[in-house]
Amino acid sequence: MAVIGAFCVSVNREVCINSQMPGKCATCAQVCPHGVYALDLLTGEMDIQNYNTCVGCRICSEFCPVNAIRINPAEPEYITRYPWTFGAIEEIHYKAQTGEYLLRGFGTHGQTPNFDMITVVPSQIASTAPLDKYREECDMEVVIGEDTCEKPIHLKLPFVWAAMSFGALSKEAKMSLAIGAAMTGIAANTGEGGLLPEEAWLARGFTDSEMSRKKWEPGGYLIIQWSTGRWGVSVDYVNSGDAVEVKIGQGAKPGMGGHLLGAKVTDDVARVRGVPKGSDALSPCRYYDVQSLEDMKHMVAFLRDVTHYQFPILFKLGPSRPYADVAACIEAGADAISIDGMVGGTGCSPDLVTQGVGIPTIACLPPAVQALKDYGVHHKVKLIALGGIRNGLDAYKAMAMGADAVGFGSAAEIALGCRVCYACHKGNCPYGITSPKPEMRARLDPVEGGQRLANFIHATAEEIKILTMLSGHRATIELSTEDLRAMDLNTAALTGLKLAGYERSLPMWEGVFASSATPAGNGKNGKHVRQAVSKT
Amino acid sequence: MKTINAKTKDLKFTNQALKESLNGHPVVIKNAEAIYGLAAGLKHGQVIIEGSAGDYLGVLNDGATIHVTQNVGKYLADNMTQGTVIVDGDALYGPGQYCYGGTIVIRGNAGDFAATMNKGATIIVGGNVGDEVGTYMLKGNLIIVGNAGKNLANYLIRGSIYIGGVWESLGHNTKVAALTGDDKAQLQAYFETYQIVADAKSFKKIIAASEKPFYN
Repeated sequence: MAVIGAFCVSVNREVCINSQMPGKCATCAQVCPHGVYALDLLTGEMDIQNYNTCVGCRICSEFCPVNAIRINPAEPEYITRYPWTFGAIEEIHYKAQTGEYLLRGFGTHGQTPNFDMITVVPSQIASTAPLDKYREECDMEVVIGEDTCEKPIHLKLPFVWAAMSFGALSKEAKMSLAIGAAMTGIAANTGEGGLLPEEAWLARGFTDSEMSRKKWEPGGYLIIQWSTGRWGVSVDYVNSGDAVEVKIGQGAKPGMGGHLLGAKVTDDVARVRGVPKGSDALSPCRYYDVQSLEDMKHMVAFLRDVTHYQFPILFKLGPSRPYADVAACIEAGADAISIDGMVGGTGCSPDLVTQGVGIPTIACLPPAVQALKDYGVHHKVKLIALGGIRNGLDAYKAMAMGADAVGFGSAAEIALGCRVCYACHKGNCPYGITSPKPEMRARLDPVEGGQRLANFIHATAEEIKILTMLSGHRATIELSTEDLRAMDLNTAALTGLKLAGYERSLPMWEGVFASSATPAGNGKNGKHVRQAVSKT
Repeated sequence: MKTINAKTKDLKFTNQALKESLNGHPVVIKNAEAIYGLAAGLKHGQVIIEGSAGDYLGVLNDGATIHVTQNVGKYLADNMTQGTVIVDGDALYGPGQYCYGGTIVIRGNAGDFAATMNKGATIIVGGNVGDEVGTYMLKGNLIIVGNAGKNLANYLIRGSIYIGGVWESLGHNTKVAALTGDDKAQLQAYFETYQIVADAKSFKKIIAASEKPFYN
């Protein structure tokens, strides 16, 4: 029998040489040391005589000249072979052969704590009565920068597209996102790869660069990203959108920058990024022109100045130390802060970073919210939750935990047709979403893609409306942690939510933020944040 | 010629006053040491800063000519796209980072990480430079008349670095190339234009060893 686990051995008889011409090939039987295969010496026919002896070494598959054999575990590998799964084994073989570590796209897979073990508490007789979804209104608008700039953003729905660059995404995918934003009144984001010219007018709902022909209502917004690589950045660039987002980190690879491999720096990408064609576009892991929190404040100050004090300034954080990081953003003058949990996506990242670095989204939110509360700016400086948000249920839970809005990155790609193969970095996306190749890009129509995204947003908004109203609220801003319960100890421990049945937070959460920064205005919190930043 | 006294003034006031004063004549700014982000994002005009200037001077400059008679703080002409910035004294950490174009002339010394991620500007330093200068440079020229510290041109991707003195060490992905006749002529022209005393013939040229230094 197998050393560990059981295996299904399947032979594709249509391509197997022995099946077509008995006696011509018996490689599998010859190489298998476990007696799985048997060769009938009279007829020359090979057959599988004993499945149970297969140990999953795959030597037969390796040697089969026509690749006709598949060996699959009969039970989940995580029961029978963990931690030596086939994936782990193949990774070691790859490294041994090439001397390189694994790169991949998309995001974290496997069991990472997420919103699934949180449940929504409906209203009933002991609380505010539920509201009627059909007759009564539900306010979901989110305003960013209402007290700090001349042109605040009024998101019609509490959503943004997560930052995804041109280069990581195809031109058609970027255009789809812009059109989807225009159709729904939410915000698109350039990402760090510079401004695709079409984005600027499509996101606002126009079909021409002069913005004279409006096609899509209500029209959306465009967030301009300012990052460590500073691709395609100029004073015109920062003035071409409706907000500037300072990227500090991202969920899929916190602590790292970005890296668009030279193979994806085509003529178009090179033009937008302002770099030579084929050159690696490396975004450093940190700003070389920011060495302290004071520098960051100055950066925000000059960004406000060059944008004529019109636009909100946003920050995007990876999942590191949410309390101190959010506090630093508040100190620096943020109008909104996106925090991207470790399930957030990427165009390309070392596998071990995507899989093993960062804090889950559900665990980022409580300390981030607490920092905002400690500074007295919760719901004033807007918090946007990113990282593995899939639907209205996830979005509702994130907002009940204190976020003002949520962002969709991976979900937006899936809405465009992505089937999650984790190979975005190879440039061969068959759905035209992440590929720069014309034949693949031709499969994605930007208007159709924009409509799919708009449909997704509308459906998701309806889901949030259902949940908001069944829990007795007229606006998403009224949601609170009282509308949620954790369904297991792990989730209760990570989030501080009340445990269902127990109806209290776990004792470990009592006074957990008592030593945190004092409210804004007394001059102490700045020192606290600077200490926290210097420690990090 | 209009004069702005920036003493006790903030960034918003000073830059607003500067923009309103740029009507074809040079504008002089005094007492600008404490202003961060002075002359940010200008598209035209001539600015003369009498004395020293603070951090982020001329950030996102897109066409203005800025002349500083003494020293500047950190991140001089950060992310400049067009224009000219001339500093008669020294520049602290990181002058000329992320620039896409334009010319920066520092007659004195420049700090660490100068010209990091330069993507097309010409940056001339009349004195010495610190460590890690020219890191991740993708395009453009960096000309150092004096000496350089450690890891000069670290992970150079594209572009050229010319140096008249010596370096403490070269960074990854670098090699020393022969100076061509065009290189010498170009250097000499810069020296004459900006009145820098140097002999182009004695310079060494550093370029990227590979155009793909990170992955094969």
